[in-house]
Amino acid sequence: MLLILLGELHMKLNWMRRQQLVGYMFIAPNMIGVSCFIIIPALFSIILAFTNWEFPRLSADFVGMTNFSRLFQDEVFYQSLKNTLIFLGSVPISVGLGFLVAIVLNKSVYLKNMLRTMFFLPYITTGIAIAFVWMLIFQPVDGPVNTLLKSMGIVHPPGWLSSTSSAIFVFDIIWIWFLLGYNVIIYLAALQEVPSELLEASKIDGARRMHTIRYIIWPLVSPSTLFLLMTGFITSIKQMGIFQAITDGGPGDSTTVLSLFIYKTAFRYYDMGYASAISVILLLIIIVITAIQWFAQKKWVHYS
Amino acid sequence: MKRIGAVVAAVLIALSVLSACSSNNKESSAQADPSKGSSGKVVNLTFWGGVPAEAGPQEIVDTWNKEHPDIQVTYVRYVNDDSGNLKLDTAITSGQNVDLFANYTKPLLEKRASSGSALDLSQFTDYNIDEKMGPSAKEWAVDDKYYAMPTKRNIHFVWLNKDALDEAGLPVPTDWTLADVEKYAKALQTDSRWGYSTFPFYRDIVPFDGSLAVQGYVKEDGTSNLGAPIVAEALKLHYDMMHTSKVSPPISLIETTKMNMIAEFLSNKLAMMNAGEWVFRDANNIQDYPRDFTVAFAPLPRITEEQDDFRSLGGLGDAIAINAKSKYKEEAWEFLKWYADEGMLPQASGGRIPASKDADQDKAMELLLGDLKDKYDVESLERVLSNELPTFQATLPQEVMDIRSDEFDKYYINAQSLEDTIKNVVKRHNDFMKRH
Amino acid sequence: MRKLILTVIMFLFALLMIYPFLWMISTSFKQPFEVFQYPFQWISDHPTLKYHENVWTGPASFVTYYLNSLKVSIISTVGAVFFAAVAAYGFSRIEFKGRETLFLIYLVAMMVPNQIIFVPKFILFNAMGIYNTHMALILPGVFTVLGVFMLRQFFIAVPKDISESAMLDGAGHMSIFLRIMLPMAKPSLATFAIIDFSWHWNDFENALIFLLDERLYTVSLGLQNFVLENSVDYNGMMAAATAGMIPMIIVFLFGQKFIVEGLASSAVKG
Repeated sequence: MLLILLGELHMKLNWMRRQQLVGYMFIAPNMIGVSCFIIIPALFSIILAFTNWEFPRLSADFVGMTNFSRLFQDEVFYQSLKNTLIFLGSVPISVGLGFLVAIVLNKSVYLKNMLRTMFFLPYITTGIAIAFVWMLIFQPVDGPVNTLLKSMGIVHPPGWLSSTSSAIFVFDIIWIWFLLGYNVIIYLAALQEVPSELLEASKIDGARRMHTIRYIIWPLVSPSTLFLLMTGFITSIKQMGIFQAITDGGPGDSTTVLSLFIYKTAFRYYDMGYASAISVILLLIIIVITAIQWFAQKKWVHYS
Repeated sequence: MKRIGAVVAAVLIALSVLSACSSNNKESSAQADPSKGSSGKVVNLTFWGGVPAEAGPQEIVDTWNKEHPDIQVTYVRYVNDDSGNLKLDTAITSGQNVDLFANYTKPLLEKRASSGSALDLSQFTDYNIDEKMGPSAKEWAVDDKYYAMPTKRNIHFVWLNKDALDEAGLPVPTDWTLADVEKYAKALQTDSRWGYSTFPFYRDIVPFDGSLAVQGYVKEDGTSNLGAPIVAEALKLHYDMMHTSKVSPPISLIETTKMNMIAEFLSNKLAMMNAGEWVFRDANNIQDYPRDFTVAFAPLPRITEEQDDFRSLGGLGDAIAINAKSKYKEEAWEFLKWYADEGMLPQASGGRIPASKDADQDKAMELLLGDLKDKYDVESLERVLSNELPTFQATLPQEVMDIRSDEFDKYYINAQSLEDTIKNVVKRHNDFMKRH
Repeated sequence: MRKLILTVIMFLFALLMIYPFLWMISTSFKQPFEVFQYPFQWISDHPTLKYHENVWTGPASFVTYYLNSLKVSIISTVGAVFFAAVAAYGFSRIEFKGRETLFLIYLVAMMVPNQIIFVPKFILFNAMGIYNTHMALILPGVFTVLGVFMLRQFFIAVPKDISESAMLDGAGHMSIFLRIMLPMAKPSLATFAIIDFSWHWNDFENALIFLLDERLYTVSLGLQNFVLENSVDYNGMMAAATAGMIPMIIVFLFGQKFIVEGLASSAVKG
């Protein structure tokens, strides 16, 4: 009896061990690649944060915490941190908007394919050309946005990119626009897993539809929401290209975000040690933001 | 402080040796085909520059290659911005094929000299840079040594719409101040035309820089001299032109519309433009920029009548260096000498006038004006070109230039007062110097 | 009726979304001096095909860049979808020790700012001898963290009972992955493929640093050619950018079919 039991246990252990091995084998290929091309280079740059290495010189000294203490006294750093946080505000807005658009696009419209394509278009376009168009759209004097605002009776519309107080918000608008298509398509894919009778909105009256969306569909797609928020924050915090193309951080330093600050420090001033120190801080910020979301997910994310 | 220099250096050197080997292989396989037939060994040089290939460099290397079948030069264009320079520097450090490269700012050349990327040219004794290029060449020397050869003249002046001047009954100025500029601008301003503006990147270098070049950017006590009275004076005059007399487009407008000053000027939407020789390429391109007015030229304005230490922005540019790791330094040097004395001429139509005294200046002038002699007021052009005013060259580190234009911008867009602007610039400049 | 109203509203919204593109396309048919003209004119007074012709047949033709971009993007995307799907299956369907920890490490890796790993990556590629080759874009391109995360979220949503019953029939993880998971996850795979393709197609930073040879340039890098010494050739850039959108639109329309098919199959299943 005992023998049989032990034998079963042994088999079970064996099976579990095999399961383990299979698990590792499944993740190994990607893990190796990610280690080589991301994790190891990142560790290297963490070491650099404690040096005064200047590219392309061939030598460097360990300078301890100097770069970090300099960072905490650097006004540009605090300004960039503030700008980065304001910029991140675009992510939840775009995700929320994306959910609503996806719900409507999924069932309740004609010309579905065409509309989806139109919404997704912003996400797939090449940077500098479209960045330039945005600049013209927000041109403070005769640009279409301010022309519209003036025609609506607003005598002093914002100076948008020409003013230190409003420039960063232009990037919020552009970023909501840019991410929306991505959010929509992720939600659309998630909605395919939702039983279709729930989505047949036209059959249900208004109040119940709202109820369904809020209490049934929204929880059902919550894993996607978590994913979109997390990855949205991460990609936004790392985003540098549009800032570089449109204002290069100006006017003054009103649109200098951390990633652009890093880029300029590293590749304009070649101050690699300091740039690495800023990156380490940036990385810590992203980790904290992500960790909060990851641990808060139990409160609102429902896995089937 | 522990020294890890050796470790980093060892790793980097090992890597560059590795990559040198692999690039060796690549090169020899690439060369195998063309050299099969000929008996002599063909040397391949790569020349990196910021000028688009079709604007002259391609013609230059084609001419050279025809005359020198044994030394073939390939031109690679890099965009002269942060990422382009990064690309050049990574290419050099990794031992890729970069034999010659053009430097456009002194701070970058200094970095490249100190990191061992640029070859000390004093090892070549058959070409005296000082003698050939004149006294301004010294401004490009790093620790009194030439790591690059400056090849073109930087000529800064004010472009004038002469037809507009004639209409207003104004003579072409030969010596003037910013107050005169404003007076002219008011007379020339119309509903569809701005009076005066400066070329965007040129706003980084303000007329006071000439004075500071004389006085020094750093005071004797080691602190910043950016608080000198002349700085505030120049800023105020520029501010007034943007916001009080409104003869200049405000910087916010220039920036948010990426206003192309050259196009504005050539399409008669700007009467006077503070710029330089690089405008010639577009001014000579009447297909894309059709114009019917004549262009005249005036020297750069002084800030005030009293400014006696005024220096005109100028000097030399396009400093070409040889990669210290190049395998063909002698051949690269041969090309460089030829380039400076005659090779670079085809770029004259774009405004690049050779600095070398042995270059054919008449030919350069002819190319510069092309078939458009009647569209330029040649007399005033010759006057600014032969201007004997002492010149200076911008030498502040990039980071300080950025600090300045950041703070100046805030003043120009009314985000901070003039006093605060000066205070911040001085403070940040001092902070910078404390670190370096 | 409600459907019609919603369609109209969504269409207007969508027009707003593509407004910048219409602007871009319109500019690509204009003359240089018209670029900055306000009020904006949708149809130029002096329309020209010059810039579009230049993109395809001009001396600085984009055909090579196009082919390079296609090569890099297609290979990277196929590889990325495969590797990400395998790893996502591991992270969502197999219980093993340290799974959560490893996944968290993954998430941290996703957060590393690109700018700061350029130099180490550059040194590494140099040592591997793939600097200035397409491999420098493809090799790191096939390993994506975001893809693993995305597909994991999708795989988690697939009901467990199907794979469990297969497991009882003696099927291994590999065969469940290939024969059950992949076909069922087609909409998610298509979604990820579309997005991943657009990343590779638009990747500018990596191409800029890791490619030297102009013959290897990709479309997004080629757009730099329009940045002249003192100005930008906006018309040319807009024409090239317009042309650069075409493959992305094709990929999207093609991929979207799979998403719709997925919809149909899940309806059958439900």
